Amino acid sequence: MAKEVVLMKGNEAIARAAVLCGADAYFGYPITPQSEVLETLAELKPWETTGMVVLQAESEVSAINMVYGGAATGKMVMTSSSSPGVSLKQEGVSYIAGAELPCLIVNVMRGGPGLGTIQPSQADYFQTTKGGGHGDYRLIALAPASVQEMADFVQLGFDLAFKYRNPAIILADGVIGQMMEKVVLPDQKPRLTEEEVIARCPWAANGKRKGAANNIITSLELDPAKMEVRNIHLQEKYKEIEKNEVRYEEIMCDDAEYLIVAFGSCARIGQKALELAREQGIKVGLLRPITLWPFPTAPIAKYADKVKGMLSLELNAGQMIEDIKLAVNGKVKVEHFGRLGGIVPDPDEVVTALKEKLIK
Amino acid sequence: MNIEDIVKPENLVYKKPALLNDNTMHYCPGCSHGVVHKLIAEVIEEMGLENKSVGVSPVGCAVFIYNYLDIDWEEAAHGRAPAVATAIKRLWPDRLVFTYQGDGDLAAIGTAETIHALNRGENITIIFINNAIYGMTGGQMAPTTLIGMKTATCPYGRDPKIQGYPLKITEIAAHLEGTAYVTRQSVQNPAAIRKAKKAIRKAFENSMNGKGSNLVEIVATCNSGWKMSPEKANKWMEENMFPFYPLGDLKDKE
Repeated sequence: MAKEVVLMKGNEAIARAAVLCGADAYFGYPITPQSEVLETLAELKPWETTGMVVLQAESEVSAINMVYGGAATGKMVMTSSSSPGVSLKQEGVSYIAGAELPCLIVNVMRGGPGLGTIQPSQADYFQTTKGGGHGDYRLIALAPASVQEMADFVQLGFDLAFKYRNPAIILADGVIGQMMEKVVLPDQKPRLTEEEVIARCPWAANGKRKGAANNIITSLELDPAKMEVRNIHLQEKYKEIEKNEVRYEEIMCDDAEYLIVAFGSCARIGQKALELAREQGIKVGLLRPITLWPFPTAPIAKYADKVKGMLSLELNAGQMIEDIKLAVNGKVKVEHFGRLGGIVPDPDEVVTALKEKLIK
Repeated sequence: MNIEDIVKPENLVYKKPALLNDNTMHYCPGCSHGVVHKLIAEVIEEMGLENKSVGVSPVGCAVFIYNYLDIDWEEAAHGRAPAVATAIKRLWPDRLVFTYQGDGDLAAIGTAETIHALNRGENITIIFINNAIYGMTGGQMAPTTLIGMKTATCPYGRDPKIQGYPLKITEIAAHLEGTAYVTRQSVQNPAAIRKAKKAIRKAFENSMNGKGSNLVEIVATCNSGWKMSPEKANKWMEENMFPFYPLGDLKDKE
């Protein structure tokens, strides 16, 4: 039987996918432009169907610490917020990464800095991929470019988080969160039973097993020699993730003379710009990083010898461009184009920028 | 005569709870933490919840409680233990979930998490050690530091014009709809210890029976931070802390 195609917002897709993939809990706090996630969950009342816990916390700080608490017990827990709220969560994110707990975080980005604007932005790229909180840690960062991917990346994010015992983040922007598109939702999966959770996460703190040692979830280690070992272990894990989990999409890159690199909503704009440019005889390709960390460094480096220039198209002042430049290591010209403060460029502007910055 | 000849099983009137392991405690001699740890271990054992308990440790001296009590633990960020405990209890409703927090952790940086977890009526217990000072960081002013009391960050004594007033957060908790049992105890002598243990038992039973949230404050000493001998610290506590933080039940819904 063909699957039902439904029309919905990206934020709603996140909420529905969370219930359907068998998530155990969502902890959130309202903030534009992602409040529909919590609102949809409240309307769905999954505590009456799958048994999923949905709780509005008193702050983003509290919400992420509820995620920390739930994740420590081995359950599938998540939160969502938007830029200023995600800044507040950074302490908890660092603890979760330090304690090696799996969880899913969603950031539907809006313009900053400060309270900024409620309009779309991609200015949290640095925060997401370079740290955000304190200490040497990494988040597995997925950048959806459609409402369908908003739905799909919930399960993918949880899968990767549990595979590596590491927080995963869906880095969306206000465009992807608010726009409505066709989407096919996954089938309902049952939540794991307590026995299944214990079997999957023997490390979890949810009541000491008879005859086993007690489980202690902590990121604290006062002995620097032991703390270094712990850090080295984290770095080895991150190398493994970099080796295995790079995801990206290439559109018309085979004959491209110029490459647009863009993620999320910018990849959609870039795709239209690519079509317009090709109508004018300019051979443009698009490379879309799906994982922002691990970054598709090698795939981008491969084009350094093939194209005449690369354009990093971002809704910010130039953040991902640093990773592109590191990837091509000076072999090809890399320029940035972006609009700031919540302005979304149209494809014509992108073509003009491409011509001015790389061709003229 | 050997010790084994004197202490025969049939002569035992007291023993260390099995949940309290043999790790050497890092606490200063005279510190109240060890006594409260022991009481928690005893109550969990007596309730038969060894395999159903999850504790949440704070930032502060008691961060290492997980090294001493043989149950599952999660170490929370400073002040966030009630939020952490909220999630654990909601996801594992048949577990005993409790936090163990100091005055700075609970009544300064964690005020929001404390008030809201209690007011939601989460079926958890918060054990609150109030010694009116930051012990681990070396004796700085706490939200509960008394007026006139000297600390590293109010070396001339707490002046309400500069540092404001000590916070009676337990009194606030007693006014919240979500709390089932709110009490203030101490552990400076055997009679006080027995009362404190009863309070912890009642709070844990409430938590397991879905009665709502529970706050057990223990007015305690920090003789190192107070720069007193253990004996003098106990006397000072009785003379200065108890008048401002009077002992007894503030709220009992039963």
